[in-house]
Amino acid sequence: MGRYFSLSAASLLLASGSAGAQTSTQSALESAGAEAQQIEMLFWVMLSGGTVIWLGVVGLLLHSALVNRRRLAEKSASSIILWGGVVFPSVTLCALLAYALWLMPGLRPFAQASPAALRIEVTGRQFWWEVVYHPPLGPPVASANEIRLPVGERVELTLKSADVIHSFWIPPLGGKMDMIPGRTNRLSIMATKAGLFRGPCAEYCGTSHALMALSAVAMAPEAFRSWLAAQAIPAEGAGASGGALFLRHGCGSCHVVAGTDARGLIGPDLSHIGSRATVAAGILPNTEDAVASFIARSDLIKPGSRMPAFDMLPPDDIRAIAAWLRGLR
Amino acid sequence: MWLVPKQIETLWTLFTAPVVWAAHFLVCYIGAAIYCAKPELVGLSFSAVRAGIAAATVIALSLIALSAWLAWRQWGLGTDDPPHDDPTRRDRTLFQGFATLLLSGLSFIAVIFTAMPALFLTECIR
Amino acid sequence: MSAAVKERSPEEYKAQEQRLRAVWANPTGWRYWTSVNNYQIGLWYGSAAFAFMLFAGVLALLMRLQLAVPDNDFLSADLFNQAFTLHGTVMMFLFAVPIFEAVAIFLLPPMLGAREMPFPRLGAFSFWSFLLGGIFVCGSIFFNAAPSAGWFMYPPLATDKEFSGIGADIWLLGLSFIEVASIAAAVELIVGIMKCRAPGMRINLMPLFAWYLLIVAGMILFAFPPLIAGDLLFEMERMFDWPFFDAARGGDPLLWQHLFWIFGHPEVYIIFLPAIALMAMIVPTFSQRPIVGYSWIVLAAVGTGFLSFGLWVHHMFATGLPQISLAFFSAASEAVAIPTGVQIFVFIATMLAGRVIFSTPMLFGTGGLAIFVIGGLTGVMVALAPFDWQAHDTYFVVAHLHYVLIGGMLFPVVAGLYYYYPLIDAKKLSDGLGRLAFWLMFCGFNIAFFPMHLNGLRGMPRRVFTYPAEIGWNWLNLISTAGAFIFAAGVLVVVFDVLRPKHRQPRGEFNPWNAGTLEWISEPEENWGVRSIPIVRSRYPLWDQKDLARKVNEGRYYLPDAEEGWREGLVTTVLDAEPVQVLRVGGTSHVTIVSALSLGGAFIALTFHWWIATALAAIICFCAVIYWLWTGTGEIPEKPEKDVGLGLSLPLYASGSDSVGWWAMFITMVGDGTAFASLVFGYFFYWTIHANFTAGIAGPDAVWSLVAASLFAAAWGLMVAARTVNRRGATATMRGLLVLSLLTTVAASATGLAAPLSPGMDPTRHVYPAIVWILVIWVLAHAALGTVMQAYCLARSLAGRLTPKHDLDLGNVVLYWHFLLIAAVTTFAIIGLFPAAM
Repeated sequence: MGRYFSLSAASLLLASGSAGAQTSTQSALESAGAEAQQIEMLFWVMLSGGTVIWLGVVGLLLHSALVNRRRLAEKSASSIILWGGVVFPSVTLCALLAYALWLMPGLRPFAQASPAALRIEVTGRQFWWEVVYHPPLGPPVASANEIRLPVGERVELTLKSADVIHSFWIPPLGGKMDMIPGRTNRLSIMATKAGLFRGPCAEYCGTSHALMALSAVAMAPEAFRSWLAAQAIPAEGAGASGGALFLRHGCGSCHVVAGTDARGLIGPDLSHIGSRATVAAGILPNTEDAVASFIARSDLIKPGSRMPAFDMLPPDDIRAIAAWLRGLR
Repeated sequence: MWLVPKQIETLWTLFTAPVVWAAHFLVCYIGAAIYCAKPELVGLSFSAVRAGIAAATVIALSLIALSAWLAWRQWGLGTDDPPHDDPTRRDRTLFQGFATLLLSGLSFIAVIFTAMPALFLTECIR
Repeated sequence: MSAAVKERSPEEYKAQEQRLRAVWANPTGWRYWTSVNNYQIGLWYGSAAFAFMLFAGVLALLMRLQLAVPDNDFLSADLFNQAFTLHGTVMMFLFAVPIFEAVAIFLLPPMLGAREMPFPRLGAFSFWSFLLGGIFVCGSIFFNAAPSAGWFMYPPLATDKEFSGIGADIWLLGLSFIEVASIAAAVELIVGIMKCRAPGMRINLMPLFAWYLLIVAGMILFAFPPLIAGDLLFEMERMFDWPFFDAARGGDPLLWQHLFWIFGHPEVYIIFLPAIALMAMIVPTFSQRPIVGYSWIVLAAVGTGFLSFGLWVHHMFATGLPQISLAFFSAASEAVAIPTGVQIFVFIATMLAGRVIFSTPMLFGTGGLAIFVIGGLTGVMVALAPFDWQAHDTYFVVAHLHYVLIGGMLFPVVAGLYYYYPLIDAKKLSDGLGRLAFWLMFCGFNIAFFPMHLNGLRGMPRRVFTYPAEIGWNWLNLISTAGAFIFAAGVLVVVFDVLRPKHRQPRGEFNPWNAGTLEWISEPEENWGVRSIPIVRSRYPLWDQKDLARKVNEGRYYLPDAEEGWREGLVTTVLDAEPVQVLRVGGTSHVTIVSALSLGGAFIALTFHWWIATALAAIICFCAVIYWLWTGTGEIPEKPEKDVGLGLSLPLYASGSDSVGWWAMFITMVGDGTAFASLVFGYFFYWTIHANFTAGIAGPDAVWSLVAASLFAAAWGLMVAARTVNRRGATATMRGLLVLSLLTTVAASATGLAAPLSPGMDPTRHVYPAIVWILVIWVLAHAALGTVMQAYCLARSLAGRLTPKHDLDLGNVVLYWHFLLIAAVTTFAIIGLFPAAM
């Protein structure tokens, strides 16, 4: 029942999955970030408390309905309402509320963030993510559909939208924050473990909302800095032969590839697409087959996306472009 | 005892305490929202907002206490126990008093809950 | 009391009974559908709501099939998106709220010992509006034109024509229409509960169901209008490009979220409280004792009603509002759990103090509570902003809301169906099928929805039409799908039990569960509600007042006859239910259908921008409503008083705040005022989000604004004067004042129009002129309606239907003018003075 069964190449790819690549996680219960850890703790506390309360209430309910034959006096029955319905919940909820309120300022501490810290601007678009790194030193670095961040350092995210409301969410790192047209939201995250994570768009944003995801790579600070430095310059493969086809078929009017004449701003920046964990906004593995099939039938793979299908191009051209893109590392 | 209102015969007294809660809630929310949106307009620090919330809370709690006292009086100063289900005007009044008293209790707790954020949050943070 | 009762001969008794039966009889043939009787309307309303529920349930099953396996292509992305949008919309607007209007219309009159709701034709109008709007919205999916932006229709996805098609208009116009019907029902419920109880039913003796419904109707009055205001802004943007939610021109998508959720969260309790109200009727019956903690239930209902209005931002925790704002809403959301807990413990206490008969309704009730408690506990979790940052918009929330709504609403409704079915058909539903249905539904539900909690925490967002295989959601989704079908099988068993022919089943006994409340007196075969209107002396009159049923059915109480051929009920005082008036209510009429269908036609034509059809339908609707009012309201009775039995004589006419019509106007205008307040909120909302609110655009002229406000005040003063002089008998002066007031209103409207027109404010340019214009239009539309009312009063006076003593119409119109004055002065003061003051 493959969704892409009409597209044999793509379904083959999906069957093979992201084999060979690192496995990514999208679970809030496998926390790898400061905020996610605290919230996970909060969850386990609430879950244990909630389980005890549920067992108590339902036990009492069943007892009173099925077992009890004693006809309690009205006065004692009233005191059950007072203690069970008012006093106990008030005290418990007060404590829980205090716990959560105490957590809040620490989870997303903007005031303390030093101006020297790394800031990443992420803009949601139907159905992909535009990413710009603003390192404390040096020029901004553009990318798309993937963010990388140094482990153990706070990163400030600037979240925007270019069309409809999206929501930025990398569950293992922390909670979500909406991206709303006309507004700029801020989010502070800190990865505590290295790893590859997946983040879905969390606010319904149209036809292919389900097909809009983001890869997040948390890496050692030194590795991150050298990676970022490499991203700031054109990829080595930019001059290779597929680039001419890319430009000739008009891809450059929507996409940027640094070091070439491709300067379009409608679609994702492809300057270093070869080095990303996934393609097509987190839905396909980064393989030549996947890239080729997306170029040919983007309309089937991502309904409602603004990228037109290019299946009218000669298959060899598509393959050459895909190979060239894969080489942009 | 001219300070204390006379007992009035209406359904609406039942809602006194929840209305105080609602007013307190709106004052806190709108006050903080305007401060955080336009701090330059108010020109005060966030501590002033917290102090304002504290003051509003004290006022709200006092009003609710007053409503509770009036309800207690209407409830015959607690001399009679529920269920207040006799078909008499007296039992109807006792019922109103008791229900109003209970609502004052709930509103009192709810106002305290609403004020708690001001204890823990020391800036707007967004 | 019995001293005054004359003994009647059997012939006389028969004649009385026949007259009464004839007056309340349903029309026959196709005219059956013009019935306005509360039993018919309640039943039709409930059946239609149930049918919509089944339709939305089928959509849910289609979605579950699509999600059963990863990368599925059973439904296309677009169809899936339409399906979940319609599923949520239909369940909320066409099932959950209407089913309670239905149950209330069906049950309240007999429960309160009344014959009818106070405005039966309004009830019928509400039903036909609902049915037409519902079919229109549901039908759209068969044309692949259903809304697809999610049931909360967030802009700009839903407002911008680049992203959404006609589905959004269908949603907006179809539902606005139904929201109006809900408010009509709320008016009817409030007046019915406050003013139309049986004599002696003091507020401390009122059935708990009525207490809950009173609170719920009040909540509808404050919750629905903000959504209607939001709908207005929304449709102005879609139809005329006014940029309320367009960030590029100063609008803001978040305003919609505020308005939607100010409606949306109370909505959850509007759905939940009536279901719990059914439980509050069922539990005492099967515990065979009065409820323990009657006052506690009132506390819980009122407390929940209020607190539920302080929760709306908890749907917006991830929108980037200041943390302090989020924290207030976390706090209120925790607090609302307290009254909810109280309600559950009241049931536990009642059962502990009684001896429980564990019947099928109890099975559904307790099973529902067990499910609901889980929903409540996860509600406490997601109410905390930090946890919600993770859980928001995931399957955890999907699980949570279904635990709340199915446990807190659907199960109690089915319990209520099994409990009250004998009132519909005089026969019980099958116990065996009921138990089978329960276990299928209970197990199926938990199998379907429990795994969703885990999937949500494992990162599965809601509203995804598919998911990749490698994330680890496959098994849990497959289990959910299987559970959904088991659950659906249970629902089918219920449907079968209701629909199976029961001719051979003998008529059941009277009051089969030995319940204590009045509704069990009424017989399904009779249309009159109660044979005579009893005097109530207990919370459970059938338990405590021996012979009550017999005496009611022998016509030994009030109004056992219908000599003059009118449908009549009693109006009683709010607190102590002392009888004060005989209320003659409207009978069978086609005017309700004509006005509902023409209003619906206007909305539907508007969706497709068929302007001429819209205008035609609107004119038909206008004429129908005027005809309805002229022939059916404010009738001057043939005699001032009538003997209602037991030696009591009551007036047949009341005006001012003694009349139910005045209360209906007051309640309607409170709702209307809430909508207006929502628009004013919008004005100040835009002010807070912009450093420069007016964007340099010249605002309305202060002088024009102030003149308009003064003229409106003058018109109001003339109206008040007209009412006063009319009471003194100066009819000619009153007519003169009415004409003068009408002319002043026209002048005031023209001046009001000049205020934004003279600086040339263009509403499509920026949100500032747009919000100013919408406020002005609001006032002007109300002023136009005000002039219609003035002309109507003038015509009534000329026709001799409005006299110094019978001034109901004028009293109600003056009340309308009080509200109009407030709206006009507020609007022109704000738009004229505020920008300069800032």
